[in-house]
Amino acid sequence: MILMQTKAMFIDAYRELNAKKLFWITMMLTVVFSLALATIGIDESGVSFLWFKIGFLPLNTDIITAKQFYLAAFSYLGIGIWLTWIATILAIISTSGIIPDLVTEGVIECMLAKPISRVRLFLTKYSTGLMFVALQVAAFSVVSMLVIWIRGGYLEPRILLAIPIVVCFYSFLYSVTAFIGLISKSTMTAMLITGLFWGMIFVINLGENIVITFEESTRLYVQEREERIDLARSNTIKLLERQNPADEEYEPSEDEILKMNPFLTNFQIELENDRKDLRTLGVWSSSIFAVKTILPKTAETIDLLNRNLIADDALMGDESEDEPIIDPQSDIDIDQSELNRNVTERFRERSIAWILGTSFLFEGVLLGLCCWIFARRDF
Amino acid sequence: MEAVIDVQGVEKMYRRKVHALRGVDLRVGSGEIFGLLGPNGAGKSTLVKVLLTVIRATKCQGTLLGSTVGDKSVLRQVGYLPEHHNFPKYLTSKQLLRHFGAMSGVERAQRNRKADELLEVVGMKDWANAKLGSYSKGMRQRVGLAQALMNDPKLIILDEPTDGVDPIGRKDIREILTHLKDEGRTVFLNSHLLSELEMVCDRVAIMVHGLVRQQGTIEELTDGQSGFAVRATAPISEDLRTQISSKLVGIDPIATDDPTELVFATGDAEKVQPAIDTLRSGGMSIQAFGFRRPSLEELFVKAVQEHPDGARPGAQRKGARS
Repeated sequence: MILMQTKAMFIDAYRELNAKKLFWITMMLTVVFSLALATIGIDESGVSFLWFKIGFLPLNTDIITAKQFYLAAFSYLGIGIWLTWIATILAIISTSGIIPDLVTEGVIECMLAKPISRVRLFLTKYSTGLMFVALQVAAFSVVSMLVIWIRGGYLEPRILLAIPIVVCFYSFLYSVTAFIGLISKSTMTAMLITGLFWGMIFVINLGENIVITFEESTRLYVQEREERIDLARSNTIKLLERQNPADEEYEPSEDEILKMNPFLTNFQIELENDRKDLRTLGVWSSSIFAVKTILPKTAETIDLLNRNLIADDALMGDESEDEPIIDPQSDIDIDQSELNRNVTERFRERSIAWILGTSFLFEGVLLGLCCWIFARRDF
Repeated sequence: MEAVIDVQGVEKMYRRKVHALRGVDLRVGSGEIFGLLGPNGAGKSTLVKVLLTVIRATKCQGTLLGSTVGDKSVLRQVGYLPEHHNFPKYLTSKQLLRHFGAMSGVERAQRNRKADELLEVVGMKDWANAKLGSYSKGMRQRVGLAQALMNDPKLIILDEPTDGVDPIGRKDIREILTHLKDEGRTVFLNSHLLSELEMVCDRVAIMVHGLVRQQGTIEELTDGQSGFAVRATAPISEDLRTQISSKLVGIDPIATDDPTELVFATGDAEKVQPAIDTLRSGGMSIQAFGFRRPSLEELFVKAVQEHPDGARPGAQRKGARS
């Protein structure tokens, strides 16, 4: 009977979605978006849109393979823009009413008067909300896979990984929608609070990105300064040794070194300042990391797909083409490619267990609270 | 008679303030049509929801179809139509019936057959494939009734089943209920339409203020309140009333508000003849004579008036006078 009831609830959820215009509009847009990938082509002469060459894009199959090009397009445009943002907003609008509708007077009595436990009823209804996203991302991934197969000449089944990954990503947000929907019984409230929560996560992610970029660039400054100080110091020592050729045992004192090269003192002060900044930034990044540990990792979850699909070197670009950053105050150059690599490594050294484990823990806690409230509430 | 519902001392307190049920004792026998009456806020719907696990009772002892109240598995044998049902408008009536059939554990083949059968029974066969959003209230009520019967329930609980239904529809529903009773099913009705209940119910309970005040067959409830009534053309004087009382020894008079009327608690017309003779000899004309049994409405009003707080909408608050 469990299977029968679950199937009935999923069929009902599908009928509900089917009755909503927004569902079909989203599905249609999803397919159109993925088909749009087919309009972009790449060959040895460059990138084309339909029959037109796009001259300003310095890409061709000598620089990047067609497979890499399409996978990158799928990852950045399809996943990064369409599924992560536009389709997710449409999904929140479409599914935020599922739990409030369930607990509406006249609906909930009929459901609770059936031989199904409250917890199972709630969790099944919750799962039906994820079905919307699953259908959407499945359509998108399958069409994209076919497009890349036809246009790029490679069948890449790893694209289908987008289905579980995006569903996981959405489930983290949807647990908030369900929780607020259950408490407030209001679709609008559930939708708005989810939007705010998502916005908060976005701001935290953005903040972390900025802090880690600063931290890594400061670390590079510190390394560069240390190297410069070591070089200046050894040059100064050599100079002092040359001034005292008679004494083979001669070792200049610290005072003599600093007297000979007074800039070293400034270098040391600047180095200490940078180290202090590095420690402060370290505290900030650790604090943000701690806050993020208890929150769902939406951006990192989506990035799991990139980890699987796109090679690291394709993500980080060609080192030789990057312009070095010049610090006007110290005239220390840091390599932008190295900085990008370091920042990316900082994010990618986070384990899948941490990303998904803590996110599922967040979702589990919220769902546990929902089940507890739903099981105890009088309707 | 085997009890389908047998509960004692059901209590429900909301937020430790509102005492909705204050120790309800109720027994509903198998195969009967049972009516639960009561003013708004008496606790009727709360009691039904407690039986169906929609509301958790503060205190409850007893059984539903032989299982402890709260046992979900027994709901497989129960059909329910809530008062303010809100079925999904995107479903057709056939889809709705199949959905709720599946939720009650009815096998696919049986679901399909039963849905067609029940839509015919409630007169909605021609609308089987139309969406519920296009139905009138009466049509939705008919489909709701069919929905409650999808799982071949032993117990059918209907909350205001004739609400919004036209007179023909009400008659149809009454016939369906009688048919269900003939099949040996138990029907539990919750309704304000006392005349409807009077026509179909074997037993009724009157609930006031979170308590069942009276319970039994209509005959049992009217026992001592029915008898022969004599109505004169003018008000009967106290002198004549005293004379009549002295002649009808052993027959209790039943109080009535009408000054032209006398009612006696007896089913024997012969025993009342001396009263008619006395009235005539006193120069009065008789306008009417016949057996009188109070209507369910009169019983209901009387029960509510005996408990003044019961007429007040909303449940009683803790500490208020009962």
